[in-house]
Amino acid sequence: MPLWRRRLGALVRNRTALAGAVIMAVVLAGITLGAELMPYSAVDMDFANILSPPSWAHPLGTDSFGRDVLTRVLYGGRISLLISFAGVLIAAAAGTLTGMASAYHGGLTDAALMRFSDLLFAFPSFVLALFLMVVLGFGVQNVILAIALVYFPIFARLARNTTLLIKEEPFVQAARLMGQGALRILFREILPNIAAPLVVQASVGVAFGIVIEAGLSFLGLGVQPPIPSLGVIMADGREYFQRGPWVLTLTGLVISIALLGLNLLGDGLRDLTDPRLRRQAEL
Amino acid sequence: MAKRRRNGLSRRSLLKGASALAMTSLAGPWLVGRAGAAGATLRAGITGYDVINTLDPGKATLIPEYYVIWAIFNGLLKFDEKMEIVPDLAESYKVEPDGSLEFKLHANVKFHDGSAMTSEDVKFTLERLLDDKFASPNRSKVSAIDQVTAVDPTTVRIKTKEPFAPLLTFLTNARTGTQILPKGAVEQMGAEAFGRKPIGTGAFMVKEWTAKERVALEASPHYFYQGLPKLGAVEMPLIPEESSGVTALLGNQIDLTSTAPFADVPELEKRTDIRVFRQAGLNTRFIALNHRKPPFDDVHFRRAVSLAFDREAMVKVVLFGEGVSSHGLIPPSLKFAYDPKPRELTTFNAARAKEELAKSKYKAGTEAAILTWGAGWWKRVAEVWTAQVNQTLGTVLRVEVTEANTVYARQRAGDFQGSVWGWLGFVDPDEYLYDVLYSKGYRNFQGYSNPKLDDLLVKARQELDRGKRGQLYKEAEAMMIEDMPIVPCFCSNVHNLASTKVSGFVQLPYSNYGDTFQSISIA
Amino acid sequence: MSRAAAISWRFLGIALTVLVGAFAVFMVMKAAPGDPALVVLGEQAPPEAVAAFHQRYHLDAPVLEQFWLWFVAALGGDFGRSLTIAGGTSISGLIAARLPNTIFIGLYALILGVIVSLAMGTIAALRRGRVADTVATSIAVLGISMPDFWLSYVLVFAFALGVGWFPSYGFVSPGQSLSGALYSGFLPAVAISAPMAAVFARTLRAALLELAHREFVTVARSFGFAEVFIFLHFVFRNALIPYVTVIGLQVRYLLGGVVVIERIFGIAGVGSLMVDAAFGRDYPVVEACAITFLVIVLGVNFLVDLACTFLDPRRAN
Repeated sequence: MPLWRRRLGALVRNRTALAGAVIMAVVLAGITLGAELMPYSAVDMDFANILSPPSWAHPLGTDSFGRDVLTRVLYGGRISLLISFAGVLIAAAAGTLTGMASAYHGGLTDAALMRFSDLLFAFPSFVLALFLMVVLGFGVQNVILAIALVYFPIFARLARNTTLLIKEEPFVQAARLMGQGALRILFREILPNIAAPLVVQASVGVAFGIVIEAGLSFLGLGVQPPIPSLGVIMADGREYFQRGPWVLTLTGLVISIALLGLNLLGDGLRDLTDPRLRRQAEL
Repeated sequence: MAKRRRNGLSRRSLLKGASALAMTSLAGPWLVGRAGAAGATLRAGITGYDVINTLDPGKATLIPEYYVIWAIFNGLLKFDEKMEIVPDLAESYKVEPDGSLEFKLHANVKFHDGSAMTSEDVKFTLERLLDDKFASPNRSKVSAIDQVTAVDPTTVRIKTKEPFAPLLTFLTNARTGTQILPKGAVEQMGAEAFGRKPIGTGAFMVKEWTAKERVALEASPHYFYQGLPKLGAVEMPLIPEESSGVTALLGNQIDLTSTAPFADVPELEKRTDIRVFRQAGLNTRFIALNHRKPPFDDVHFRRAVSLAFDREAMVKVVLFGEGVSSHGLIPPSLKFAYDPKPRELTTFNAARAKEELAKSKYKAGTEAAILTWGAGWWKRVAEVWTAQVNQTLGTVLRVEVTEANTVYARQRAGDFQGSVWGWLGFVDPDEYLYDVLYSKGYRNFQGYSNPKLDDLLVKARQELDRGKRGQLYKEAEAMMIEDMPIVPCFCSNVHNLASTKVSGFVQLPYSNYGDTFQSISIA
Repeated sequence: MSRAAAISWRFLGIALTVLVGAFAVFMVMKAAPGDPALVVLGEQAPPEAVAAFHQRYHLDAPVLEQFWLWFVAALGGDFGRSLTIAGGTSISGLIAARLPNTIFIGLYALILGVIVSLAMGTIAALRRGRVADTVATSIAVLGISMPDFWLSYVLVFAFALGVGWFPSYGFVSPGQSLSGALYSGFLPAVAISAPMAAVFARTLRAALLELAHREFVTVARSFGFAEVFIFLHFVFRNALIPYVTVIGLQVRYLLGGVVVIERIFGIAGVGSLMVDAAFGRDYPVVEACAITFLVIVLGVNFLVDLACTFLDPRRAN
């Protein structure tokens, strides 16, 4: 049986990963298609329907401008996910390259790069993100940059540590002896073997990235109106919490479900790819 | 280490023990004790703000600073509950035909440090405000004063270069900066130290002040109104979120709030455990337009954006009905200067708006950034305005959210196209029109200049007859609306929330607070 | 390398990190647009007043000099005066007043999280595969999946405004009243501890499960030791290493991530101080907060490393 088939089979048999995958599939479907299918606009205001409670016409109610909350959540989810994904992707790419290079060359380069990474890591994540937003200014690009900077050290450390382990493996030594260039070794021999924990970390990262973005936008520092992001919707809901508690509460619930899916998926992947826990994974 | 070695059963009992501990601390004596009548403590939250930089009236600019200043200082005059000007530190006053004023002060007034207040202190206070080197932000209130004479310890004479009608108003204990200071103490301490440990004549003294957290006041034994204050102390926590202020009040952590979120007012009014004070406020909210940059350098474009939105809808959506739409800068509460007749250029009319747009240099698709700040209703004003104008005219106006200080700085530097702005607590029409629209007005960030309007405003400042003065301001507003230097939006209501235990709170439309503490008592 | 030498090296490393970190923060703040003079002087600031302000706070000196002046003073415990808060409040005073609040809430949340996770993680591992495990694990995953500020609103809604068991706003400093602090700090501590407890529980469970199948456990069992003894001495004690490590990592989250929570509940902590100061371009306050965070985080990491060394003497560093 081909490798991917075996892997897929293992995924399906692991209940956690399966549950996570199903939830994520629903969420992704909602985000990509659902937003277009909704009859309402995410942006246009409807002054007649301000802050109306959940009903058949508006399953999650309307916000303080009369906009349908479900539509905004679907659009907002797309934006939040994209922002978080972009940030984590940049962090993963930059961090992995840095970590691998650091481990491979060792010595002073290693010490310097890891020192820099540790420095970033020593700051509490949200404070670092916040600080960057105030300094760089608000808006989507800077949120992505902030998330990237927060996650960079995690990927760098992880990539470095796993590369250190793999570096001494026989097949890597063999490649070196055969005269293969450093870059080639890094990408062909080492990277595929360290990819697994990085992917798991990425899924966790995307989940937390959404929370960071939500937090920043919640404080008013992230995405700007009228673009909805999950944090923006919750900030609006918080402003009018007494009058319309459903906006904040239900949006948060939707986020929690999406994050639950991501986390379960990440868990399942970790169970599947970590050789030490493989025995427990096959329940 | 030993703790971890206990077996699993003990861990569970540890958990039980911890929850028991939590329960007992619930019953703990935590609520701040409030005795009966005299010596009681009022917890008056400052909601919606958390910045107080100084308590020196000569340097104060922010409204929360004034909230406290009004409790610890007095002015020569003050407003009573009918918004009439009545004597405060002065016992009586005379207005001469040439506009100069003579005040007879109370004889037995003492500052918090026990020293007596005399006319020397009044002279010192006003001259300090006039001093260029001191650079007081409130200088313009008294800049018309030519000479202050301390005739005898209880008599002061103030002469102005020309008749200056708003002077009486500017000498009240409002957002004016003319509260009377102790000459000896200020000279001895220096301005900076005084700003942190102020000494005044008011009913309360500052006991403690923790920046960004709270101000604690205690009753002054020297207050010259017999029998006041009724309270023993006032705790003023600084609560930056208005909605947190509401939850704090409902949860009985505070007794009084200085504002209330517009959206919650109708619901709060239905409750029987709190009281809601509301009335039309003395304030103005508008969109400031920069005349020095496109696209608002064109009068037809400015008119178009004013015609392109529905102010009533904005009041409904942004204020949840807690306010009135405005067609000028002067609020309706200043009845003598306010013209209630609606104006064409400030009434929603899509067709007319498009006509004006056609006459202007700029067409549909014009872009501009409108500055605003925060997460609350100031931001919503920008959102609602741009959405409506874009829909009517096809322009591409977008909202740029930063923070309040940045918006202020950029306006002053002329580095903006449009911005949401407004003023709160102004008590005289001169503050609304002269400061904002006079060519050299120090709040004229628009770069607007109309010599005919300038003349009219100067004339209005010097007209001592109230009726005639009011008429001049009505003319001035009608004139300036043709140019549309700013787009008037609305005038919002002022709100205070109080627990039912609080009595004696008097709400005035200029967002008063500390001044009314002296007559409050807690049941 | 002897232990003393290793510890000294770590210490030096931390000091260097703090210096470089402070410098980095300083440079980034300087590069940002905005002028604190305008913020402080506000209305009607004539150019002379602005220039005087710049001169007084050395804002016109070369940047390196500005940094050096500041850093030297900071080492002596004087963080200088705030540029914007109440006309020059002592920053050390501000931080000294606020740090206990942040630390109190942090410890409160940490203790709650540890207690709950010790219980949940152990139960989940012991009853692996059964209902208790699935329930515990699901709760744990849910805990991580919630934005903490959302949870705090739900808590306020339900427990403060709903049944009125806890105050909805306002935090009594532990200096003023310990019981007051415990009472008013309960809801924020729960909101912060939920995701942390979840992470701790999962880590403990995974570590316990992994260790339970190791060879030395089977060997010990064959020697005839009691199950409980094996569990505590071999499995649990070793599982504490990753557990304690993770706790140490969460300190970063505690210190910074609670900014929004501090705002919602009105807790006068260092996080909200830093945010407000950054808005106002109050450079000295931002520096001081950054240093405070750095020192605490690095200090805690150091302590965690020490604890791990004691827990398992085989670890070299």
